[in-house]
Amino acid sequence: METIAVYWESRIKTYGFQRITDLAFIEFSCPLSEIKLLGEILSQDDLKILRPKFIIAQESDHEISFIFCLPLEEGENFHASLEKTPSLTNHRYIYPVSIIFFYGPHFGDRYGIATATFSTLSKAGIKIIASGCSSASVFLVLSQDDIDKAEEVLAETFEVAN
Amino acid sequence: MKKLKIGGLKQSLELCQFDLRGPDSSEEIASKVSTLLLYQKINMEFLTYYPNRNSYHQLTFCISQDKFFTTSEILKKECSLPIGWEINSRGHVGIITIFPHQSAIKILGVIMVSWAAQSIPIYGIATSLSAISFVTDYYLIDKATEVIQDLFQLPEDHAPIKPEIRYYQSDIVKGD
Repeated sequence: METIAVYWESRIKTYGFQRITDLAFIEFSCPLSEIKLLGEILSQDDLKILRPKFIIAQESDHEISFIFCLPLEEGENFHASLEKTPSLTNHRYIYPVSIIFFYGPHFGDRYGIATATFSTLSKAGIKIIASGCSSASVFLVLSQDDIDKAEEVLAETFEVAN
Repeated sequence: MKKLKIGGLKQSLELCQFDLRGPDSSEEIASKVSTLLLYQKINMEFLTYYPNRNSYHQLTFCISQDKFFTTSEILKKECSLPIGWEINSRGHVGIITIFPHQSAIKILGVIMVSWAAQSIPIYGIATSLSAISFVTDYYLIDKATEVIQDLFQLPEDHAPIKPEIRYYQSDIVKGD
């Protein structure tokens, strides 16, 4: 038996925009052959207290590149511990950055969410530092100065459900 | 040793993955590619975008496996991508999503170590407020799930790990 449900909305609904400010952005790469070593570093008990707000990883050319966004103090400590690890390369540390994130009904199951998000920011001239969309949510890492404008233009595109 | 607790675990259906990489461009690649897929009504189930990775930009996304050919054709068309951009794709991947209560970095590290020991690759990771999603080979998704089940304690009343329903967004639009 197949059930077809039709869901229609004139503007894409979201449950609202949430933001996290004053974050440290840390980027590093690791050869795929060293991923086990990186895993051992990340699973150390002294990193257990870190509360990352956002992580993405992309793989290409036999290496995997990670981005972590952490509260400032945690980010400084994390960055310092990574710098002691010779197999990690291309460190980048940016402070401050902000995250704006949102989710909504059927995000993850329907097309058009990414276009609405990226086109809106592009038209407003807002540069994305990084983004990740998974588990029906959209996360955008932006310059701290852009966060107000980003929320303003996204709120015009999406409808905040009551 | 006491297992770390996680709040849940789920698998995706079979997907495919595209990695688009290229130099800086005046075109906003995430906006352009997502619009191309919108015209074909293709949902991006997973996406990571990093415009300043070393000297190039990378957009990675996963879509339903049955859209692999259509999407390949769209992206290969002349003018779809800016000059200098390259397309790499994987035809059969899946996503495992876990819901850690806490210690997200430790849990991430433990999974990386254990999957590496079992030769289970990681092609992408993205987090949300409560979840970590891993992209891996679809043919290894059950093995990867078993490794996680051995490592972590799941709730006793855990929901099914495999997806039971596929949602489609209908083409039919019914007005009020």
